[in-house]
Amino acid sequence: MTTLATRPSILPPVQPLAHANAVEVSGLSIRYPGRGGVLALEGLDLEVEAGSFHAILGPSGCGKSTLLKMLAGLVNSTGGTWSIIDGSRPAYVPQGNSCFPWLTVEQNVAYGLAVLRAPRSQQKTVARALLASLGLADFARRYPHQLSEGMRQRVAIGRAFAVDAPVLLMDEPLSALDFQTKVHVQGELLQLWAEKRSTVLYVTHDIDEALALADRISVFSRRPGHVIETVEVPFQRPRSYRDLRNQPDYPAAFRRLFELIEETK
Amino acid sequence: MELTRSLRLTLLGLILPVGLVLLWQVAATHNWINTLFYPAPSDIADRTWQQLVDGKLIMHCQVTFKRLMIGFLVGAVPGIALGLAAGIIPIIRQLLYPLATALYVVPRIALLPLVLVAMSVGDPARIFMVAFSVFFIVFFSALSAAEQVDRTHIDTARAFGANHDRVVRSVLLPGSAPAIFSGLRVAMGVALIIIVSTEFLASNNGLGAYVWRSYQIFDFPSMYTGIVAVTIFGVLINWALLAVEWTVIPWRR
Repeated sequence: MTTLATRPSILPPVQPLAHANAVEVSGLSIRYPGRGGVLALEGLDLEVEAGSFHAILGPSGCGKSTLLKMLAGLVNSTGGTWSIIDGSRPAYVPQGNSCFPWLTVEQNVAYGLAVLRAPRSQQKTVARALLASLGLADFARRYPHQLSEGMRQRVAIGRAFAVDAPVLLMDEPLSALDFQTKVHVQGELLQLWAEKRSTVLYVTHDIDEALALADRISVFSRRPGHVIETVEVPFQRPRSYRDLRNQPDYPAAFRRLFELIEETK
Repeated sequence: MELTRSLRLTLLGLILPVGLVLLWQVAATHNWINTLFYPAPSDIADRTWQQLVDGKLIMHCQVTFKRLMIGFLVGAVPGIALGLAAGIIPIIRQLLYPLATALYVVPRIALLPLVLVAMSVGDPARIFMVAFSVFFIVFFSALSAAEQVDRTHIDTARAFGANHDRVVRSVLLPGSAPAIFSGLRVAMGVALIIIVSTEFLASNNGLGAYVWRSYQIFDFPSMYTGIVAVTIFGVLINWALLAVEWTVIPWRR
């Protein structure tokens, strides 16, 4: 692991063995079924530290989503090993509009709890609290089609946090949002993550978003995807997108990631 | 502001139909057209009123309504059930699809003689005609509805730990509902055509028989009364179906 920091004074302490990993992937390969099936991932190694916000950055079609789908139990691996802390089921925010149109906002947030057969009262309490944190308290009884795109993505994020899973998988949850909304929801997401102390594995193709959110960033190669390099983000928390460019190390960090992505071509 | 706008649009839409009826009225009163075949709208309105008052029209409506609704339910309920089953379970799809496709392309009304031979003239035969037509339309709409449920929603449910049973109940069924309802409305339109044409040929009561008999005895005002009644009947039933749809699928506004 390398660090992006150019000034040692703000280097975060790196203690590789002091923390448990929430996700460990080793030598993973995934080939989609069928004759001439696409080899999406090959020789993928990844360690995600428990409690960290870990971004995966890479060109489109590099297998980032495939990795999350595999960890979410939707795709089978064809080689290698992987594990998630305590053998737990990760929560998942899929790419695109994933809110169930036939459930109200509150029922959407509570969906995972309903699957786990949590008592109704608990479903309600948890959903209400999350909706309040996400600024959606007044929309609990609305249906997704009555909400803006940004609100719907917040509902999907709330649904993932509701199950209190140790690991959250997020697949470009904010990529369809306009800039203002995206920055706003990023703030809410970081706040929820800080409160819940869960591990987030966050797929994005946006360097600035990765730098604004993550503790570490793993850059993926082109297909078949694997991690080229994992870098530490040297900015202190709490951070915000607004202050990102004022960070002394921002230009160097951006350029380094940019070059790594360029190399994948 | 909003109201006046929608009012203006409604009025705009009424210009053509009202204009055409007026033109017809003028043409009939000036004998530009043969009033034996094309009686004036005012005469048709008179006749409709007469037939309403003496209860004859209502009786025919009731008879047709009963056949239509029983046939519709007998066709739609298994249509939905088997269509969904075929859309969800590949083996059932393989089993039903070839036969259903073959039967689907047969023009339903062409089966009337066969049905009459098999079941003899009577309400069971008429109801069967409706049910048979409705079944295939609803079957195919339910099948493709289940197949076209958004993959993301299915994946989301599975990622949250939903088993097959829960995926079916919490995603496939509600996700199919809007397309199934579109299919039901199409099926109802076809059912109306089938029951009226069946009554033309094989019934002495019901709205179809009423129209056909009026035609045969050259009672053209009554024939138009029957046509108007069938039209209003169809519109009301379509509204009723829409009302059911709004209650069953509230998330669609």
